[in-house]
Amino acid sequence: MKIEELNRESEMLYSGHNACPGCGAALAVRYLTRALGPDLAIVLTASCWSIISGMPPLTALKCPILHCPFPSAGSVGSGVKRGLVAKGKPDTTVVVLAGDGGTFDIGLQALSGAAQRNEDYIFVCYDNEAYMNTGMQTSSATPFGARTATAPYPLFKAGQKKDIMQIMAAHSIPYAATATVAFPEDMEEKLKKAKKISGFRFIHILSPCPPGWGTESADTIQISRLAVNTGFFPLYEIRDGVSWEMTLKPDRSRIPLKEYLGAQRRFKQMDDRRIEILQEEVDHDWECLMEKVNTAD
Amino acid sequence: MLPEVTKDPVCYSCGTEPSSANKTGEWRFLTPEKDIRLSPCRQGCLLDGEIPAWLEAVKNGRWEEAWQIMSRYNPFPALTGYVCFHPCTENCNRGQLDQEIEIHAVERAIGEWRLENYKRVDRPKEVKGQAAVVGSGPAGLSCAYYLNQGGYEVTVFEREKVIGGMFALGIPEYRLPRKVLKKELSVLEEEGIRFVSGCHVGQDVSLSGLYEDYDTVFLAPGAWKPRKAGIPGEESGGVWNALDFLSLLNKGHQPEIADPVVVIGGGNAALDSARSALRMSNVNHVKLIYRRSRTEMPANQAEVEAAEHEGVELIFNALPRKIEEEGKIKEITFDFCKTNLKGLVVDQSRSFEEKCGTVIMALGQEIDPSIFGEPVKDSLFYAGGDFTSGPATVPDAIRAGRIAAMTIIARDAGLPEPDLMLPDLEPVAFEELNLEAKINLSLQQSQAKPDEEAGRCLGCGTCNSCGICYIFCPDMAVEKVDNRYQLNMDYCKGCGICVKECPARAMVMEGGME
Ligand SMILES: Cc1cc2nc3c(=O)[nH]c(=O)nc-3n(C[C@H](O)[C@H](O)[C@H](O)COP(=O)(O)OP(=O)(O)OC[C@H]3O[C@@H](n4cnc5c(N)ncnc54)[C@H](O)[C@@H]3O)c2cc1C
Ligand SMILES: Cc1ncc(C[n+]2csc(CCOP(=O)(O)OP(=O)(O)O)c2C)c(N)n1
Ligand code: SF4
Ligand code: SF4
Ligand code: SF4
Ligand SMILES: [Mg+2]
Repeated sequence: MKIEELNRESEMLYSGHNACPGCGAALAVRYLTRALGPDLAIVLTASCWSIISGMPPLTALKCPILHCPFPSAGSVGSGVKRGLVAKGKPDTTVVVLAGDGGTFDIGLQALSGAAQRNEDYIFVCYDNEAYMNTGMQTSSATPFGARTATAPYPLFKAGQKKDIMQIMAAHSIPYAATATVAFPEDMEEKLKKAKKISGFRFIHILSPCPPGWGTESADTIQISRLAVNTGFFPLYEIRDGVSWEMTLKPDRSRIPLKEYLGAQRRFKQMDDRRIEILQEEVDHDWECLMEKVNTAD
Repeated sequence: MLPEVTKDPVCYSCGTEPSSANKTGEWRFLTPEKDIRLSPCRQGCLLDGEIPAWLEAVKNGRWEEAWQIMSRYNPFPALTGYVCFHPCTENCNRGQLDQEIEIHAVERAIGEWRLENYKRVDRPKEVKGQAAVVGSGPAGLSCAYYLNQGGYEVTVFEREKVIGGMFALGIPEYRLPRKVLKKELSVLEEEGIRFVSGCHVGQDVSLSGLYEDYDTVFLAPGAWKPRKAGIPGEESGGVWNALDFLSLLNKGHQPEIADPVVVIGGGNAALDSARSALRMSNVNHVKLIYRRSRTEMPANQAEVEAAEHEGVELIFNALPRKIEEEGKIKEITFDFCKTNLKGLVVDQSRSFEEKCGTVIMALGQEIDPSIFGEPVKDSLFYAGGDFTSGPATVPDAIRAGRIAAMTIIARDAGLPEPDLMLPDLEPVAFEELNLEAKINLSLQQSQAKPDEEAGRCLGCGTCNSCGICYIFCPDMAVEKVDNRYQLNMDYCKGCGICVKECPARAMVMEGGME
């Protein structure tokens, strides 16, 4: 990403879209489409992005978007890619864009099927850690300890966040990677890499959501950065399900998770004991990840 | 029946018109705006120059603009780029990251660009008045420059044959190439400033005469009267005064100097004398002897190091008592001397003799209030540089000339006296900068090319067009125009990300953010 080369023409996202102020998902898709465009087709499940993308005749993206039923993203993506190939357009990049609900929960079986068949497209999950568009209901991507509409204060999400990356790795797909909006260069590199690979590719993007997470809209980047620097959301890539590699080590030795949680009102009811539980979980995941990274090289 | 799809592969279900028809800026209840805060370099700059602004211009290759910004405070960047001791750099925040910006190197490059690209433009000039400037040092030249820009017809009177004051006669050629000075002066002449050299005001013309003939007079005769040690032998032959020695050399003569040379003093004139003497073909040994310690030397430390590196021997804590002559050999007696709370303490029991062929006394200069042969009256306000401050620096003098010119221009326009002091604000501290998004932050150490070096500047309170706000705006409400960034209020939702992420702290949220 050379800032000198960026301008309105190189962007695929238009202003005037319907995202909330400070929306991480809007930024994620801005980076994503810029990296993969212009010859790009997007398959979109029901989610905040169905709204952000605008109401016809308006559209927020310079590429076509196909809205599809909530659980069907994986299959619709397969069909669109095969259709384009059949029409003699094998070079068009097909991206399935789904929220965490559309990926971790309701979309999981179609996703699994497409991954197992190694369909030739990129599945992008922008993860705002709940069903945000319908009012912040818990999803299996919601982290332990977060308050949601279905686990209102003083309740909280009890189980751990589902490890979608291990699930994808278990499908032995050619490429899978994590990314987040505070590190646009890292994200772009991964997307450009993914674009050059054929077969099923999966990108998991952590996208802060100011109203849902209870953060200041101005803090979106800082929150995303903290997620990485605390080790809560490590940045890595996996090739063929076996070769794990960190792309961006946390700046300092990992910052205590408390700093990340404290900046978000959804974790307001987290007492020290619960913070410790989550910290231990993050530490454990981190060690497992390091092991995978180390055995890979 | 489904409508026919015409714009293959655009699917009709997703819309075909850009959402930019939707002016989402209407949602905004907080508004970001560009801000300017004081940078540490500017606080350190003796000229008050807008350093980060001209660095930004150079980074983007806008040299003309850089010159325009520069010349608001410094009309002679080519000269200061050589001789200013750049206290700006000492303060530079980037030093806390890796290495300070070489501000003076970029400054010099702007000056040299300007001299190379100078073209006289005929401006219709409504003459505001006739101005006389006495003294052609940096203070006089600067006042002449700004008065001339402001529409005055300016005549500069200089008692010496050469124009330039200390630029021409004090500072040695090896520190300031004379071709740069010459070019600078020829530009001033082309701009319409008249120089009368060899005209000593007070002897060749009278000061009162100038007051009669001109609407405005600015006095900048500097401080040239040598301070004396008041010791026996000081006036004998073979004992030079530093400024006499340096100006003779700078005029192209060969002062009579016999090896070895002893320079007495610890200021810049002492250092220049020592280094100049060492450069003479018949001189092999130069000692510089100073009455206080090394850390107490008023000279610029880089100069001291350079002198030492070239082979000047430095001796400290020694005060001369007398100078005796034995034929062509001089013998100076020094007493041990140091400073304590009471001042200078001399211990005559610990003394030593130093034999040499030449002594150069560099004990500093003083203002000579009687220089014009008549008292300087109430108009003293329109005087500046070393003449009013005592020996100071080139940038101090340039600043004084500018302030005088601005004050005169305002007075003649019937405007109130302008406040030309920089407000005493806290500059942006290194800790305040947000350097977390290392995107676009040039991480190299000092660069040889001025635009690359300027690109290392962190901004510190001035937008340096890094583009971070552009990168992080989820609404594409930061527009990029000619590599610079502007807010587009049609689409800004007021999220505040740009304000928060701006590394330079060059943005604020109207009405605060918290
Ligand atoms: C050896 C030496 C080296 C220095 N090096 C540096 C340096 O590297 N960097 C730095 O920042 N500062 C340096 N300084 C200090 C700096 O040069 C002075 O502070 C600065 O030049 C003062 O400017 P000015 O215009 O007030 O006076 P000057 O530069 O002294 O100019 C005054 C001019 O007025 C003329 N004049 C005097 N009386 C009359 C009269 N009656 N009629 C007509 N003309 C008259 C003089 O001939 C002279 O040309 C140095 C000083 C010395 C002595
Ligand atoms: C089958 C089906 N069930 C429910 C919905 C209602 N619905 C629309 S968007 C949405 C939430 C989607 O959550 P997620 O996938 O996480 O995306 P987000 O809104 O958080 O971006 C839901 C439940 C639907 N459109 N279709
Ligand atoms: S980084 Fe730039 S603006 Fe900041 S102190 Fe240094 S030169 Fe000045
Ligand atoms: S990041 Fe964009 S939308 Fe947010 S305040 Fe700045 S300009 Fe406005
Ligand atoms: S983020 Fe960069 S471009 Fe934007 S205002 Fe700050 S310094 Fe200027
Ligand atoms: Mg979601």
